[in-house]
Amino acid sequence: MAEATGIAAPVARSAQPGSAMMGHWLAIAGITGFLGLFLVIPVAMVILVAFQDPSSGAFTLVNFADFLRNDLFLRAFGNSFYVSIMSVVWASLFALPLAYFTTRFEFRGAAIVQTLGVIPLIMPPFAGAVAMQLIFGRNGSINLLLGDWFDINVPFMEGLNGVIFVQSVHYFPFILINLTASLRNIDRAMEEAAQNLGCSGFRLFRRIVFPLAMPGFIAGASLVFIKVFDDLATPLLLNVKDMLAPQAYLRITSVGLKDPTGYVISVVLIVFSVLSLFVASLATRGQDYATVQRGGGGLSKRRMNPAQAVLAYGVIGLILLLVLAPHLGLGLLSLATIWSYSPLPDGYTLDHYARVLGESWQFISNTLLYASLAGLIDVVLGTAIAYLVLRTKIAGRHWLDYMASAALAVPGVVLGIGYLRAYYGVSLPSGQSVTSFWFIIVIALAVRRLPYALRACMAAMQQVSVSLEEAAENLGATKARTIRRIVVPLMTGGIVAGFVTSFATAAVELSATMMLVQNTSDAPLAYGLYVFMQSPAGRGAGAALGMIAVLIVGLSTYLSTVLAERDRAAKAGSTS
Amino acid sequence: MLNRRSSIAVTALLAIMGPAFSQAPTGKVTVITSFSKDVTDPIKKAFEAANPGLTLEVQNRNTNAGVKFVEETKSNNQSDLFWASAPDAFEVLKDKKLLQAYKLKAQGIPEKVGAYPINDKDGYYFGFAASGYGIMWNERYAKANKLPEPKEWQDLAKPAFHDHVSIASPGRSGTTHLTIETILQGEGWDKGWATIKAMAGNFNHVAERSFGVPDAVNSGQVGVGIVIDFFAFSAQGAGFPVKFNYPSVTTVVPANVAIVANAPNKAGAEAFVEFLISPKGQEVLLDPKIRRLPVNPAIYAKAPKDFPNPFTDKRFQGMMVFNVDKSGDRTAIVDTLFDQTISFQLADLKAITKQLHELDGKLAKKANPKAKALGDEARALIGAMPVSEAQAAEKDLASAFTGKDAKTRRAEYEQKWAAFAKENYAKAKAKVEEALKAAN
Amino acid sequence: MSANDNQNRAEAADIRIEGVNLSYGKTHVLKDVSLAIEPGEFFAFLGPSGCGKTTLLRLIAGFNVAQTGSVRIGGAEVADLPPWKRDVGMVFQSYALWPHMSVARNVAFGLEERHLPRDEITLRVDEALDLVELKHLKDRKPAQLSGGQQQRVALARTIAVRPKVLLLDEPLSNLDAKMRVQVRSELRELQSRLGITTIFVTHDQEEANSICDRVAVFHDGAIQQVGTPIELYDRPANLFVANFLGTANILAGKAAGEGAVFEVEGGGCFAIPASTRVEEGARLVFRPQDVFIGDPAADGPAGIVIAREFLGATMRYVVRIGNGDVMVDLPHRAGATPYQPGDRVGVTLDPARAMFLAR
Repeated sequence: MAEATGIAAPVARSAQPGSAMMGHWLAIAGITGFLGLFLVIPVAMVILVAFQDPSSGAFTLVNFADFLRNDLFLRAFGNSFYVSIMSVVWASLFALPLAYFTTRFEFRGAAIVQTLGVIPLIMPPFAGAVAMQLIFGRNGSINLLLGDWFDINVPFMEGLNGVIFVQSVHYFPFILINLTASLRNIDRAMEEAAQNLGCSGFRLFRRIVFPLAMPGFIAGASLVFIKVFDDLATPLLLNVKDMLAPQAYLRITSVGLKDPTGYVISVVLIVFSVLSLFVASLATRGQDYATVQRGGGGLSKRRMNPAQAVLAYGVIGLILLLVLAPHLGLGLLSLATIWSYSPLPDGYTLDHYARVLGESWQFISNTLLYASLAGLIDVVLGTAIAYLVLRTKIAGRHWLDYMASAALAVPGVVLGIGYLRAYYGVSLPSGQSVTSFWFIIVIALAVRRLPYALRACMAAMQQVSVSLEEAAENLGATKARTIRRIVVPLMTGGIVAGFVTSFATAAVELSATMMLVQNTSDAPLAYGLYVFMQSPAGRGAGAALGMIAVLIVGLSTYLSTVLAERDRAAKAGSTS
Repeated sequence: MLNRRSSIAVTALLAIMGPAFSQAPTGKVTVITSFSKDVTDPIKKAFEAANPGLTLEVQNRNTNAGVKFVEETKSNNQSDLFWASAPDAFEVLKDKKLLQAYKLKAQGIPEKVGAYPINDKDGYYFGFAASGYGIMWNERYAKANKLPEPKEWQDLAKPAFHDHVSIASPGRSGTTHLTIETILQGEGWDKGWATIKAMAGNFNHVAERSFGVPDAVNSGQVGVGIVIDFFAFSAQGAGFPVKFNYPSVTTVVPANVAIVANAPNKAGAEAFVEFLISPKGQEVLLDPKIRRLPVNPAIYAKAPKDFPNPFTDKRFQGMMVFNVDKSGDRTAIVDTLFDQTISFQLADLKAITKQLHELDGKLAKKANPKAKALGDEARALIGAMPVSEAQAAEKDLASAFTGKDAKTRRAEYEQKWAAFAKENYAKAKAKVEEALKAAN
Repeated sequence: MSANDNQNRAEAADIRIEGVNLSYGKTHVLKDVSLAIEPGEFFAFLGPSGCGKTTLLRLIAGFNVAQTGSVRIGGAEVADLPPWKRDVGMVFQSYALWPHMSVARNVAFGLEERHLPRDEITLRVDEALDLVELKHLKDRKPAQLSGGQQQRVALARTIAVRPKVLLLDEPLSNLDAKMRVQVRSELRELQSRLGITTIFVTHDQEEANSICDRVAVFHDGAIQQVGTPIELYDRPANLFVANFLGTANILAGKAAGEGAVFEVEGGGCFAIPASTRVEEGARLVFRPQDVFIGDPAADGPAGIVIAREFLGATMRYVVRIGNGDVMVDLPHRAGATPYQPGDRVGVTLDPARAMFLAR
């Protein structure tokens, strides 16, 4: 595979001559080729329409002028921006206590909390929103109870605030994962020095810990920002239409629409996403703290006194309850006979699980296969790009980052259509079209989830001191071996974080998959879930399938967290 | 992958050898459908039982994605059939020459159901089932919120239903589009839009997909939904506390099937179309989880007692003749008008409607001619449309939406119409507020 | 002494550690440690890595919590105080300078945490940086400094808050050899100017000996001996101390002839002071400079020179006696004819220099 050269080939800094430079260029060519073939070309073929005059087909920018002259779009732009910012704020409020308490204190069940904290990301499409409505909706459990007891109705799910609520619950794990990895990489002496000088508690966090964890936080926050900015499913399911991404989606997918505006909005989304990444990279410039100066980096876990412990467990319990409420709702729905306008279902049954397990086992195995492969491709590409961007001086290397990250902003349906448009005519040796080969789904998932893995890999590499690599090279290791034996092991935490995010979110991806599934036997779980959720009788079965997805992804996440923890413990043990 | 490849090989082999041995088509028939598993599974079973040698491969996609898919894959088409509700999706496919004409062999199918032609006049797609539009509501919700039973479209404009109604956007749901068009053709352009907007003022939201409406009613997020009948009946079948009424004037919409151009298994595709129309296929539609109205009148003899028969039931006959061409020509314009003046301005529209309900309440207690006149002016402002029926039929306007030789771009119209609605709603709001003061 | 120094001079405090035990799981890291450090003392914790010296230092700073025992600083019990309430200054081995803050901000940090008025903070930051002669670099970021400069910033950051005691965790280990010698004398000078009680953790006996008033030698989680460097050198309490500080000859054998001679295992006897009590299993210990070689003689065993090493001022011979090797340092004078490997020589030991140590 082309991208493998990024790791395997000997790479060198620009100061080194000849064949070493070849490695760099090979890696760049491999990555560029992959992204070009599976991101840039297909997307360009679709959004070309944005630059065409609707009647003559000639090149024009008039469609963008129309965008700027349209009140609705400008309002949508403002709303999207506001919702994204507020979602970052709330997501940070959810993520910070979870990350801080579990990494800095002797905290029972830290791995479980970390895992549960990632679960919200695994919100299966449709099922998640239905469950959210059942819990928080205007006639959801909470509001029905509030109405009975106090005669009030809290609009959790109404309008922009509803979108902010759902998005921050859904996406806060991005901040949690990256921040946790970052916090673990801070040399404990940094904090001890501050404590020694009289600093403790929240001040210690604000003045020392948080600034040092900034690269991870920014990585997570920029993901949340872009994701919310580009997400269309949540606003649509809450019936909020005056945001940018829903506007683009509604226009692109309307039947019989030869309308450039949807593609214009897509271009705006892509440009804006790249721009915000650029701003984020400016914000972290010169902050590659590399605080792990002595290899493992000790992590001091403090003991809490009983009062602190009660408070910490209380806060974390409350946050987990809130962010896991959708899954609670989904679980109830999957066991419910009928659940309509009542705080709890009318009755319970296991029939939905029986139906799903009887009919849909291959959805599950397909999903595991696709999401693991996609996650794997993503961490390989992510590590390679992070290395090229952070450790070489090649001109234009940042464009690799921007290009890969732009995938965040490409609506799944645009990518799906792009693949069909670009490659449907291309046949495999067997005569089958490339796009009906199941691996194209893996590629689509990998491209769409690459930005997640990339951010995690970048943050991890930023924290590995260059001197550790130099030490290895000094001892006679080639670039390639240094990467394999020193850099990658030290990045393990970040790489695992990247894999988990890619895997978990790929497992529930639908929008691009929807266009590319051509054979039910190749379909992943999210597609099966969609099919179930299209009928009243399938709601419970869909929820059951959703729960199975959550369980599978949750278990894999837990497993990787435990593995990473063990690996880290082993490393810390050998260096201290 | 080996399995599939070899099955393709076998299929190909059978396709070549088939005619030599027997006339019965064999192999895999691939159908792209928006129908749920509840519908496709029983039909697949019955079809495969009736046609040994044929297997039905069901690819579930929503209608829009399905259309895009057929369009994007035409260079190497692998789909045999397109099978969905919304007739306009078939119109789009037909316009793009992605369908194949076929002459039905089956006999005994009437020309129309209600006022709507069952089959495409050029033979590109065929109705196999009919569905009526109506009002669905959640009984628990209605009881808790003291809603009266909704019987007619006009009921939904009453104050009691404010913020309790849900509808799918006509641009996103072909069947909703037909309902809107029915009202426009039945009541006339201006009056029709006024009715629609009076109703729209009570909407809780405009959903972006057809199933979003019954879903919200089933779970009790809204009380009342404007839906196609089988959504309500299949929900009842699944046990949800929902009820359904056909208003006295209802739309009947055929659900269709069509053969995709260059279908790889053309014989199999034809067999499927014939099966759907055949008595055996039509009977499957009576299954309570599917519950669509067969297009073969003879089948109703086997139907349960309370099963509506559109060929005899007065409610379905009352509808005026529906002009399909007129509807087809202005589809995008009507949908865009709906979105620009209702969907995207819903918050404003709802707020004024609420005040109007308040004003009506006050006027009912104490008459006040000045306030009433102001209220009527406000209603006129709300109902006003930026485009007249004649303008909507003009070629220049239509071309802006088809992208052919347009003088003005679609985006320009949209901005103009949205601004028109916004301004009128603001004016109406001022009038209603003045009226409210006067009525005190 | 300048006015500056007076201002920076803190009230010197003593440190009393009693009965401290600390284990991590099954590992007993500190075994019943007791120690008294006097006000103003420059005290060293010396020992090989893993001996518990850093653990005890971190315990004083509050980063480790003992299972039993008490730690008093200036008379006050601190064992139950968190690190930030102890007023103990610590300089970390890695310096732990915060990369996101400038030099001045790093130094100001502890003062800000103590909520001093802004102008006083400015004043004291300048003083502390003056003291380490880095005032001109106050706006740099730590990454822009050399290792020695970083070390001095870390020191300035700690003394700026005028802690009761100063803890230095291997402060010289990240410096090159030349810098190390320079910085250690600077440290000593600074400490005596400030008069602050200081604990210096090191594994290098030369560092400890050269600048510290007293040294505690750690081994295996326990303090082996406490004393001035000279005491430790001249009168080591056990074999570990004798061996760890300087070079020692250690010979197994037993006392004979009513304690007047020591029979080396494998042959040869040394004369030792009469009626010396030699415990069962104790070894004969002496320094290389306390033993002489010459022609074979009656008052000492004979041996064979097996190696020699020219060290400039001295010539070090390795002489095999019985089963053991003995190092012998003789002063070197120009023109002297040294012994050759293979020469048979007589070995004499000043009986007053003979030590007998168990363990």
